[in-house]
Amino acid sequence: MAAASSSDSDSGRAESSEASSKWLDAHYDPMANIHTFSSCLALADLHGDGEYKLVVGDLGPSGQHPRLKVLKGPTVLTESPLPALPAAAATFLMEQHEPRTPALALASGPCVYVYKNLKPYFKFTLPQLPPNPLEQDLWNQVKEDRIDPLTLKEMLEGIREKAEVPLSVQSLRFLQLELSEMEAFVSQHKSKSIKRQTVITTMTTLKKNLADEDAVSCLVLGTENKELLVLDPEAFTILAKMSLPSVPVFLEVSGQFDVEFRLAAACRNGNIYILRRDSKRPKYCIELSAQPVGLVRVHKVLVVGSNQDTLHGFTHKGKKLWTVQMPAAILTMNLLEQRSRSLQAVMAGLANGEVHIYHDKALLNVIRTPDVVTSLCFGRYGREDNTLIMTTRGGGLIIKILKRTAVFVEARGEAGPPPAQAMKLNVPRKTRLYVDQTLREREAGTAMHRTFQTDLYLLRLRAARAYVQALESSLNPVSVTAREPLKLHAVVQGLGPTFKLTLHLQNTSTARPILGLLVCFLYNEVLYALPRAFFKVPLLVPGLNYPLETFVESLSDKGISDIIKVLVLREGQSAPLLSAHINMPVSEGLEAT
Amino acid sequence: MAEERLATRTQFPASAESQKPRLKKAQEFPILEKQNWLIHLHYIRKDYEACKAVIKEQLQETQGLCEYAIYVQALIFRLEGNIQESLELFQTCAVLSPQCADNLKQVARSLFLLGKHKAAIEVYNEAAKLNQKDWEICHNLGVCYIYLKQFDKAHDQLHNALHLNRHDLTYIMLGKIHLLQGDLDKAIEIYKKAVEFSPENTELLTTLGLLYLQLGIYQKAFEHLGNALTYDPTNYKAILAAGSMMQTHGDFDVALTKYRVVACAVPESPPLWNNIGMCFFGKKKYVAAISCLKRANYLAPFDWKILYNLGLVHLTMQQYASAFHFVSAAINLQPKMGELFMLLAVALTNLEDPENARRAYAEAARLDRCNPLVNLNYAVLLYNQGERKGALAQFQEMEKKIRLLKDSPSLEFDAEMVEMAQKLGAALQVGEALVWTKPVKDTKSKHRSASACKAASLQQPLGSNQALGQAMSSAAAYRKLPSGRRLHAALSPRGFGPRVPAEGLWLLARPTLLRLRTPVSRASWKGKLPYAGQIGTCFLSHAVH
Repeated sequence: MAAASSSDSDSGRAESSEASSKWLDAHYDPMANIHTFSSCLALADLHGDGEYKLVVGDLGPSGQHPRLKVLKGPTVLTESPLPALPAAAATFLMEQHEPRTPALALASGPCVYVYKNLKPYFKFTLPQLPPNPLEQDLWNQVKEDRIDPLTLKEMLEGIREKAEVPLSVQSLRFLQLELSEMEAFVSQHKSKSIKRQTVITTMTTLKKNLADEDAVSCLVLGTENKELLVLDPEAFTILAKMSLPSVPVFLEVSGQFDVEFRLAAACRNGNIYILRRDSKRPKYCIELSAQPVGLVRVHKVLVVGSNQDTLHGFTHKGKKLWTVQMPAAILTMNLLEQRSRSLQAVMAGLANGEVHIYHDKALLNVIRTPDVVTSLCFGRYGREDNTLIMTTRGGGLIIKILKRTAVFVEARGEAGPPPAQAMKLNVPRKTRLYVDQTLREREAGTAMHRTFQTDLYLLRLRAARAYVQALESSLNPVSVTAREPLKLHAVVQGLGPTFKLTLHLQNTSTARPILGLLVCFLYNEVLYALPRAFFKVPLLVPGLNYPLETFVESLSDKGISDIIKVLVLREGQSAPLLSAHINMPVSEGLEAT
Repeated sequence: MAEERLATRTQFPASAESQKPRLKKAQEFPILEKQNWLIHLHYIRKDYEACKAVIKEQLQETQGLCEYAIYVQALIFRLEGNIQESLELFQTCAVLSPQCADNLKQVARSLFLLGKHKAAIEVYNEAAKLNQKDWEICHNLGVCYIYLKQFDKAHDQLHNALHLNRHDLTYIMLGKIHLLQGDLDKAIEIYKKAVEFSPENTELLTTLGLLYLQLGIYQKAFEHLGNALTYDPTNYKAILAAGSMMQTHGDFDVALTKYRVVACAVPESPPLWNNIGMCFFGKKKYVAAISCLKRANYLAPFDWKILYNLGLVHLTMQQYASAFHFVSAAINLQPKMGELFMLLAVALTNLEDPENARRAYAEAARLDRCNPLVNLNYAVLLYNQGERKGALAQFQEMEKKIRLLKDSPSLEFDAEMVEMAQKLGAALQVGEALVWTKPVKDTKSKHRSASACKAASLQQPLGSNQALGQAMSSAAAYRKLPSGRRLHAALSPRGFGPRVPAEGLWLLARPTLLRLRTPVSRASWKGKLPYAGQIGTCFLSHAVH
């Protein structure tokens, strides 16, 4: 890593200011165009020349153009397209022969592509899943034209309802079809045998029979149909098969396949299952009640990051040891292993653009990055032992080297009170005026109180008087007299000069109809003209709403508006039952012309 | 076993693969679950935009058959608050694979979030048939039953959940049931077990601490709150509760430094500003106290406790008119508290309205059960107005309450109150009020005793007799005692007409009441503080996922 370029402007400034930083900035390229997950990063001496390369299974900017990239130092050595998105990348030793160059395995879709010396070497495809025998039987019958498509559909639906083994894609697609399309579909597909294929979701390596650094390893695959497979490194046969209650997302393995091993699988149902050699089913189960976002084994402790921003430590038997709250969501996790100081720690890339390094509960170091880190990897790169490789959400690549003098020290105990405790309380200030008023109140409190009470009393009196007056002169739109309980409201429509005035009259009594009511409009005759200023109201049936319409012509061209009073009267009485004041809108029609 | 040696070693498999089989594969169906792993990875990283893009692509390719894509889409909808849409999608999933308990669980969860608890219970029961040993189903069934107020069933389901697998949430819900049923002891039992199971859960520790606080077991309360604060020094509830306990012990400065942390985290918390205000009050910084309390009142205008404190502080500041308004507002919100009426009466006495003050006292005495101060203040007022008989009756009432209170060991009578009572006792010629002998000894053991002793030794007859005589003679004008009903109306600010009493009389009454005011504030200040009890009762509703 001599090519420590000086172009790493952002991170360079942020970090170099801290002379105490444990990291050297080797490289930062915000436009490296690498979009990947931690599981698709691997470091290995692919050519056996002592120069470690970085293997990246790149998903492409929008998951469209998957590529296999091999980086040497800051530059891309080779780049080749992939047929499908890579789910995981791993390097492992296949056989004992010299030269001992590791092979590269790339899991993608239902296949594992194995490369040696960066040349395609072998392709392993997951075995087909056994189809449902009943389904197979049905399609065979169709083939011999013994049943028609409709019966087939019914039978398949029956299988889907109950069967343990799910249907093949062919049958599922068939069930979606309309009646008219069935015939064609059947004739097209009936000759084919039905297939069920699954895909690989995760992959890791497991030492075969030796614990050495450079021992032969098996590949461990997790599949979409809730199984774990262990592959033989030479013949690529399936050595062991284990089933899980859910789909594995992350795997963590320790031990050797031929001796004893423990397998921890974080699954999509939020549980982590722990299996051992000879166990076909999980031995222990850790229920997180959240989704795991990363699984790392540090010595004997399983460290799990959950999507509720917490990091948990568990024993191999599933007992919870500790919990640490993170300042932001965890995006990715990986192991940091500094062999020279025999230190193992967990790195967690957080959504706030920081990478936190934890040893058990203790925070060892925080790295601030210019962009959010989405994948992490630590190990020997080039000829440098302790290199940290990070890729960011924007596709950037950051390479940092741990200083040889750097020692991670646990910040023991709580770091004193939280910083917020030192901040001054924001107590609202009081003005001079407030103090003066206080003094005034002290001097003349009684007088103030009495004046206030007098005024309050007068206010209430006035309000009550006004209310009584309104009731007495029927100025309100609701009449509550025993004989004529009425409700009135008016609506004005139109822009002018002609408006439509609609009065809604309602008889609110329970049973008695009202007869012999009159409506009278009072208005300024200079401003408005109505066809009828006075008319009779029909019989009002209780409960119904009677809209009474009339037109109002605005005569003024000066944009003046006025009030029209509506009075509802009883025949032979001069006092109105109720009244309404309608604020007429300004006529816009005249202004426009 | 599909193995094949690649013929062309010079080329990468991609190009080899992509050329040949394309033609043949035209009819081939895509694997439905091809990108499930990618969807899941995006989902757990909360990268919902990328996740939705993959889902869309996947659903297009499989013509909507990919169950997991629909499932995650529904989860994202639910996170975004579109619960109805998520429910429909989960139902689609349940159609695609009817044997899967997980889909049914999610359908039920969406129903639960929509508030359809009965429907959710039905679906959960369906799911339980498919998966017998799922704690989550039992837990959520329990939560549904809580909302339907069927506590027995909820209790059973939550216990089932605990048998299957122990989770903090289940303990919390179980504790909540007991709290809803008003059974504090059982709730404490549950929380104790929960804390044993997960000793670092700050929420459990805080809740347990608050429950102990409510029961008055301060030692244990402080222990648990302290534990919570060691694990999470910024825990808002724990700091507030611990701070209120410090305040009770007079450690105002320590409490204030603790509150700074909360003020940073939750700057708009009404209880916080109330407690800060009362800290300043304790430190005799009244202006700061008023500003903080006013902020609290601004944040929670309908909290009568804050209004009560505001009234108290304004009384201390001799701003009686303002105090009257705050206290009467508090009374409108909480009309069942004797102490509030007492404060109102003190304010009114100082506003020279003895008639209403007396009504307020009468109401306070009617409502109050255990605060001797109410009766003492009432007795002083009556005495100053010359109603010896009434004063005597109130004095005896006070003695009765004191006798009841003496049994509880934690109580400590305020020295000034004792002094005033003794003076009044002497003035009323009830002899050397026997009731007090014991409490005075009590106070002696605590370091308050000095002033109490002095008070006892002085034995100066109250309100040197000539003033009292005058007061008695002029009190005749205030004879009519209103009935309880009318009184209530008269006290709420609506009914208050201005009454202008004759000048002169009020100057007589004042001195005694001024002396009395201080005990009023102190004692009620003590009664006020365990504000945290209120925080403890407001629970958040919890459920899994």
